[in-house]
Formats: sequence, C-alpha cells, structure tokens
Amino acid sequence: MFRIERDRARFREIVRGRLRRDLRRFLSSAELLGRRGEETVSIPVTQIETPRFKYGSNADGGVGQGPGEEGDPLEAEESQGEGAGGAGEQEGQHILEVDVDLADLADMLGEELELPNIEPRGDRMLTATGGSYSGIRSVGPKSLRHFRRTYRQALKRTIALGEWDPEKPSVIPTAEDERIRCRKEHPKPESSAVVFHIMDVSGSMGREQKEIVRIKAFWIDTWLRKQYDNLDVVYVVHDAVAKIVDQDTFFHLRESGGTKISSAYDLCLSEILERYRPEEWNIYPFHYSDGDNWSARDTERCIAVLRDEILPRVNQFCYGQVKSAYGSGQFKKDLDAALADEEGLVTCAVEDREGIPEAIRAFLGKGR
Amino acid sequence: MRQSSPIDASLRPWAERIQALARSAGLDFFDVVFEMVEPSQVNALAAYGGFPVRYPSWRFGMEFERMEKGRQWGLSKIYELVINNDPTYAYLVRTNSMMEQKLVMAHVLGHADFFKHNAWFQPTDRGMLDRMAHHGSRVRRFVDAYGQDNVDRFLDQAISLDNLIDPFLPARELARAKDGRDEATAVHTERAFSSLESHTSVGANLPTYDVLGHLAEHAPLEPWQRELMRLVRAEAYYFVPQRMTKIINEGWASFWHSRMLTHGLLETDEIVDFADCHSGATAAVPGQLNPYKLGIELFRYAEEKGLDLFKFRKIHNDTSFIDALVDEEFAERCSLFVYDRNPKSGVLEVADRGWIEVKKRLLQGLSWGGAPRIELLDDDYEGRGELLLRHHFEGRELDLAEAGDVLKHLARLWRRPVHLLTTEREQTRLVTSDGEGIQAVDVTDDEDSQAA
Repeated sequence: MFRIERDRARFREIVRGRLRRDLRRFLSSAELLGRRGEETVSIPVTQIETPRFKYGSNADGGVGQGPGEEGDPLEAEESQGEGAGGAGEQEGQHILEVDVDLADLADMLGEELELPNIEPRGDRMLTATGGSYSGIRSVGPKSLRHFRRTYRQALKRTIALGEWDPEKPSVIPTAEDERIRCRKEHPKPESSAVVFHIMDVSGSMGREQKEIVRIKAFWIDTWLRKQYDNLDVVYVVHDAVAKIVDQDTFFHLRESGGTKISSAYDLCLSEILERYRPEEWNIYPFHYSDGDNWSARDTERCIAVLRDEILPRVNQFCYGQVKSAYGSGQFKKDLDAALADEEGLVTCAVEDREGIPEAIRAFLGKGR
Repeated sequence: MRQSSPIDASLRPWAERIQALARSAGLDFFDVVFEMVEPSQVNALAAYGGFPVRYPSWRFGMEFERMEKGRQWGLSKIYELVINNDPTYAYLVRTNSMMEQKLVMAHVLGHADFFKHNAWFQPTDRGMLDRMAHHGSRVRRFVDAYGQDNVDRFLDQAISLDNLIDPFLPARELARAKDGRDEATAVHTERAFSSLESHTSVGANLPTYDVLGHLAEHAPLEPWQRELMRLVRAEAYYFVPQRMTKIINEGWASFWHSRMLTHGLLETDEIVDFADCHSGATAAVPGQLNPYKLGIELFRYAEEKGLDLFKFRKIHNDTSFIDALVDEEFAERCSLFVYDRNPKSGVLEVADRGWIEVKKRLLQGLSWGGAPRIELLDDDYEGRGELLLRHHFEGRELDLAEAGDVLKHLARLWRRPVHLLTTEREQTRLVTSDGEGIQAVDVTDDEDSQAA
C-alpha cells in the first residue's frame, strides 16, 4: 500500500534521526548487542510516542475476570492488555522495535566518529565469476544464434558480391555468416576481509572488561561489514593456551588461569597462513587484554611474531587494553616501546565504557 | 492505487442473506458496503483508523510498523474493520475462512446498527470518509507550503492535546439544537457538527473541558495552524464516541453475530470452528477485562431479565450501561474482581470481589472515555495571559512525567506559561511549564480554592 509505505518511511526516518542523536549513548552501552540480524539491527524506540495526559502508576489496578481468591497474584500481569481503563484507548506498554539496516548504522557510526572509508590494501581485487551472453562469435551452438546479426552479415556479403537484387530480395546466410552469442565474463571487484577478535580470558578479565570488549567488537564488525562485501569473523580466546571458539562462547566464556599472549598470536598467524592468505584477504586482528602477560620472555616473543610475521601480512593490528582491577597494563607499554615505528600497529587503552568511542576511532580512524 | 475490491461472488449471496436476517431480527443500518482487502493491507487500513484517505503522518507509519510486527510474529490478527459512515464501510480480510466471513459480516451489521442508532453517535459526521479525504488534501497542501517538518512539529503538539475535549459536548449541542427548533434530525446533526468546526467556539465561556476548541479559537496561531488544530479537534470528536461505547458496541455486535450464526447461517461442518473463533474473541483472560466478553454477557443478562435490548443500545454508553445492569448476581456470575498493586510486594493481585467495589472501579475506569478529566479554568491566569488547567482527581493520579511533556507542548502553542492543578499523594500540586522546563509546587487548599 503506497501511502502507508510513505508514512512508514517517514517514521523510520525519524527513528534514524533519533538513533543518530543517541548514537553516543548506544556506542558505550550493550543495548544493541544481541539485536543484530543478518542485514539489520533492531533498535528499541522509546520517547517517540506522543505524550498525552494519562493515568500514572498509582492507577494500574482495575477490574478483571476469572478465578482467584483475594490476595492471589494475577497470572497475566506482564501482558498488560486492556484493564477496565483499557476499555478506553490506552494501549499495552510494548516497546516498539524498528529494524535499521546495518549499512545505515555503519554510516552513522562513520559520521559520528568521522571515520574514513577503508582503502583495501594493494590491488587485491578478486575476480568473481559472473557474466552474461553479450558477446558474439562465429562458432557455437545453433541455439544461441543471433538471428539479426547473422542476417545482417549475410546481407553485407550479398551486397559486396554484387548479388543483391532489390527486385527479388533474398538473403541466404552461409556458414561463415553465422553469428553466435557467447558468454562474456565480467570481472567483478570483490573485497574480502577477516577480523580476528582475540580476547584474553584469564582470571583478571572481569565481567565489565568483557562487556567493553563485546561492545567494541560489535561496532568494529558493523563498520567493517559496511566496508567489505564479505567479512569473516574469527573468535579467539586465550589464557595460557589459545583456541578458536564460536561467537557465543567468545562473549560468555570465563576461563581463569595464566596468560600467555604468544599462544594467541601463534594461532592467529597459523590461521592467516593456512586459511586467510594475505593475497586474497584484508586482515584485521584485534586483541583485547588487560595487559598482564605471563613473563617478559613471552612478551618478547609476541613482539617478534608481530614484527616479523603478522604485521607484514595484515592491514592493521589493533591492541586494545581494557583497564581492570588486577591488570598491570604492562603489555601496552612494551608494545609501544618496541614497535613504535610500525604503522600497522595501533594500541589503545580503554578506561571504561565512556572510552569506547575513542578506542573505536583510534582503531578505525586510519582508513587502512 | 485501489486498496480494496468488492467482495467475491461466493460471498455475495451470504452478504444478502445475512443482511436480510439482521433486518428481520430488528437491526437497522445504513447501506453496508463490504470490501475485500489483503491481510497486508488491513493493517495499513487499521493504522489509519479505518480511513485509507487520511492525512499523511509518521504516526500512522509507526502504528503500521507495530501492527506488522504483531502480524509477523502471529500475535494479532485483524478479521474486520468497520467505519462509521453513511454508507457504512466494512473491510473483510481475504484470507478469512467462509465461516469467519459470515461471522464477521454478522458482527459488522451489529456495529452498523449501533452506529446508526446509538445516541452518542448521532452527532458524528456520517460523511466522515469525505471529510477525512478533505483533511488529507489540506494537510498535504500545508506540507507543500510550509514543509514536512513544520507541519509535523505542529501536529505533534496538537495531537498530544487531542484528548482534552469534552466527550459530552456534541450530544449536548445536538440536544440544544433539537430543543430549539423542530426540524428534521439530519439537519440538526449537520448543524451540531458544523459548530465543531465553526469559528465561534462553543467553549468560549470558561471554564470548559473543550480545551482543544478553546485553543483552536484563541491561541496565537498562524491560519494554517489554526486549521490543523480544528482538523485534529474534528477527528477527535469523531472518534470519541467509539471510546465511550467500546463495551456496549462490541457486546451488541457479538450478541448478534452469535445469535444469527447459531440460527441457521452455519453449515454443520462449520459449527466447531465457529465455537472456537467465537470463544477466542470473547475469552476471559485472567486479570483482564475483555470488552467483547463483558458486553455480550451484559446483553444476555438484560435479555434474561426481559429488558428492551434495542432501547439499551439506543441510549447507553459504557458507563451508563454498566451502571444500569451490573449488580451482585452479575458480578458473581462473571466472577468479576478488583485487582490492585500490592504496595509491599509490587505485584498485581486480586484485591476485592465485592460487587459494589467492582462496579465502582468499572465505572471509574470508564468515566470520561477512559481519559483523565481536565478542565480549562482560565486563559488569563493572574492577569498574565497564562492558562490554568485543573485535573479533576478521582482517585487516580496522572503520569506526571508525561503530563509535563504535554504541558510543554501546550505552552509552546499558547506562547505563554501554562499551569496544571493536580493531585499527587493526596497533595494538591501546581505544575507549571514555560515550554522549556517544568516546575511543580505544593498548593494549600486555600490557594487552591482561590485559583479555582
């Protein structure tokens, strides 16, 4: 229905306006996590309803119908439907959710944080197979014969041979006149990227630290998904050993124990070498930790792996250090000292949720 | 683009048969035009309050979004829509089964009879479809001239005030017109309605409950804003009888669909489906009050007592209907109870099964069309050209946060501060807004009576 679609579009525009306005709040809250589908994210819409004079909370009693002794609780409480007052037009207090395209959300993020678009590294344009029957050649299956072109060719030949008689126009194609359609390949640039979310899940990373990681990962994915047609996400957790996990585990796992960061870097490297070859993929490892490592020797090893193996192969390596009550924060200092010249390395410290937008900007602000 | 189509050939004989049956049972209605719509379109229609020609607004888009979610998740399904108009339009959803279509047609005829005869609907405009279309073209013109954002902003303000009307005003006006002269009812109806959109407000004398009317005539508005204000007001008055007669109207329609379908309209193999569908519509969910259920029970109770049902549907609204019929026997039979939030546990629980309390709470919930009763006392409060409103407290407090937002809208419209007297925790409070902020102060009873 045409008209309603226009009003609906207008409503969605208003919702997007609100979202843009409140984006800062969403950036540091977990509200949107878990609301993401394949293409869209559903945004809870509050404060958009028209205010009216109506009864407040001391008035939520009413008249009901059914069994129950005095003092029995009502069963259907959560479905606030029509009480006696509801015989008017007060509606249930359902919060409306509106689906917003992830691409739109990414645009807003880009605007809000002034993020540059990413220039894919090198000339890694993959040629995807695609095409149409728009080419012409002189041999091929008859079923693909281009009738008009064939006869035009035959006509040309007839005229050139001086056999054309306007009084008796007859054109008979020979085998050489045949024009056959053929499939023409259209090389299509396609860009693929892989994100490694690597998280330290040792005992010192608490709930709040994980929540911060989670929010950051959400926004980073949202942004990169907009930039690349094809985005793979690999979740890695590590304490003293690293392993690849699924998304759910990544966000909910709580391990405890020591921390050996090099285990994660080794795993990341082997994934790059085996599955995500740099010739075909734009690679973005993100590592989140509270900055405590097992030993200085392991840190040295990490630095060596980063400098010699990982950094040359990836677009950018981001290290986000989340402040925790137990972490020393030493790892970031070590990285900064040893790899200050590496352009592909971004390190960033996050104190609390308020710092999330800044961290995202630091990670994505270089347009690499 | 055409949004609906005439009913299928297979339904036409049934439509005629059901109308004939309804007429022979004593129902009387304007011509009823049945139209078929697709399930995806019925939500759009419902979002527009039944009027596909209504003015453009994001609000209807939001309503549509909400309903579409409900449909997609299987939470709600609309079977029919019926529009109070002459002729009466009724929309049937194409995916309804044959049994459902029969039920819906019978149900719709109950509503159509109610619209035509109920006293509270007498002052409503029976050419509302055309009027809505006119409103639509006016709003679109204003959007072109003044911009979508400006029109939206003003409509947002006006609509947040659209329950500040006097639900009894149209009927009073109609009665006055009838007393005055002895003309045909139709002419009176016309006149009563035209006064709702006239330039000289009927509510010019303060105090008035017709706050919207007072604003439309006396607020410092641009001509286009004034016209929008009158438009919002006219639509609010058109819809208010439906709010005041939800239980009796649904009860009447359900009573008749049930009566007609079980008296010869159903095939044998449809009876179980009918029982399922009917009991679904009139189910009593614990802790909720289903207007269909309460309404049909009241009519059946009245019939048992040998009362004149047709007179009931003519003179009553929900409040007077319940007042006339609910007694101890009825409350007990329907197992009605009062529920309240337990202050200690914060849980809603059954509080009282006494019929007097039940009846009191029923009436309280329905009075004034279910909205708080708010009166405009003064438009030159303390000689400063400020508005003073009073909320008549009847045991239920206002949602003050939301009331504050309404007052802000009102102050921006009036371009002067506005005040609202209300009661919060047994203390009279004066809430003031200048359009930007909100202030609230306690008022002693002395000052209160002075102000009033």
